[in-house]
Amino acid sequence: MTTEVIKIKGADLQTEEMILNLGPQHPSTHGVLRVILKLDGEVIIAAEPEVGYLHRGTEKLAENRTYPQMLVISDRWDYLSAMSNNLVWCLAVEKLLQIKPPEKADHLRVIMVELNRIASHLVFFGTYGIDIGAYTPFLHAFREREKILDLFEEVSGARMTYNYIRIGGVMADLPADWVGKCRSFLEWMKDRFPEYDTLLTGNPIFQDRTKGIGVLSQAQAITYGVTGPNLRGSGINFDLRKDEPYCSYEKFKFDVPTGANGDCWDRYWVRIQEMKESVKIVEQALDGLPAGETNAKVPRILRPPMGETYAQIEAPRGSLGIYTISDANDKPYRVHVRAPSFINLTMLQEILVGQKVSDVVATLGSIDIVLGEVDR
Amino acid sequence: MIGYFTNIYKVSAALLEGMWVTFKWMFRPSMTVQYPHEKLTPPERFRGTLVFDKDSCTACNLCVKACPTACITLEPYVDPATNKRLAKINWYQIDFGKCNYCRLCEEACPTKPVKSVRHSHGYEWAMTDRKEMNVKWVRP
Ligand code: SF4
Ligand code: SF4
Repeated sequence: MTTEVIKIKGADLQTEEMILNLGPQHPSTHGVLRVILKLDGEVIIAAEPEVGYLHRGTEKLAENRTYPQMLVISDRWDYLSAMSNNLVWCLAVEKLLQIKPPEKADHLRVIMVELNRIASHLVFFGTYGIDIGAYTPFLHAFREREKILDLFEEVSGARMTYNYIRIGGVMADLPADWVGKCRSFLEWMKDRFPEYDTLLTGNPIFQDRTKGIGVLSQAQAITYGVTGPNLRGSGINFDLRKDEPYCSYEKFKFDVPTGANGDCWDRYWVRIQEMKESVKIVEQALDGLPAGETNAKVPRILRPPMGETYAQIEAPRGSLGIYTISDANDKPYRVHVRAPSFINLTMLQEILVGQKVSDVVATLGSIDIVLGEVDR
Repeated sequence: MIGYFTNIYKVSAALLEGMWVTFKWMFRPSMTVQYPHEKLTPPERFRGTLVFDKDSCTACNLCVKACPTACITLEPYVDPATNKRLAKINWYQIDFGKCNYCRLCEEACPTKPVKSVRHSHGYEWAMTDRKEMNVKWVRP
């Protein structure tokens, strides 16, 4: 039909909803996530996240691995904070075996997990900047992250898949002069926060793009089971490190930052504040580092008694839980991972509705998902 | 109207402040290591490629059992005269395509003082074919 004919027939007046695929190959989905968007013009009327592109079946693989071997697999869930994954698996198995790791191991675990939280939030900070259109913060964030990875490399031998926190303790004690290096990193890191604020936090364009966007109300957050910085961004003060302390977190003084409105800005702000709190925790843990053993006595072949257990920790992305059943064998009978990213992602279908297409990436980025953990 | 201009002013001021941070970093030493030309020394505990000592290995199979991805295979040496299994290997093979570089095999290995299978500091390890990833050590 020529343009005239269309006009005469009035065909141009018929409007249709449009389906738009965001991903699975999209630079801003932070991995292989597909979001099916239903659009009315520029406004989103429905959004459906589709997951599973990175599924590796680790819960099933666990049934064929011994308890220590599973640690290696746990590194690959949330690869930006592998220490947390190691920790939660160890806590679960220790609960089954009723082992208590020595005090020093607790401190080392806290140090590693908190450093990893900083590293993970730095990735968020950098990539969120890119999502909004600011490239420079990314380079700054990765410079600092590199320093943390260097520290991890010295302590565990790897940069991403640490396999450092072990059942009953940790892999090995800190290398000589590591504490000094860690302290100088923390000093360096403290001076960087004002720079981050100048680069991104205080930028009015960034604030305009994030404030009032992707609002998650408290009721919605609880209904969807959202945890971590996303929940605290909505103003709910819930942090497992405070509410159900593990690894002697009750000894450390730190605040739990909470947002007010539950928009992208609040979720961003909470993470920036959390990095500052983590620096404080690591400092306290280094100050109070006890002497002594780093490992409890663990039998060479682990056969936990028949039973089931649930262990959970506050990972950088929310509460990460492990449910495992033992049938008194050296391999778990069943493992389930409560992955915070996966559950946080479900809120996307709620908060995207009514937004403009241009805000989708800002909203998705603010949830801070890791697809390795979403799909497992 | 006034709001419009104050907005422009605020944004430009914030941009300039941001640029100032970038500008300050421009004159500090570079953080990037120019990889093929410069190389960092890996730390002591670095988990690089695995090396194997075919003479000290006792063919005890502990590393095979410890490995989470079953990438180690070995065949113990059998004395042809007595038909008895000796504490030596015939061959030992690691499939580096499957290896996680996790150190579980090294930790399980009982040989002292040096572990028969252990991580080296090597990290430049590229193959063009999957078959090459099966590295085999044969004891003559
Ligand atoms: S490093 Fe880990 S994956 Fe590789 S051979 Fe040793 S135990 Fe197996
Ligand atoms: S490498 Fe070590 S653990 Fe493996 S078979 Fe030889 S002696 Fe045993």
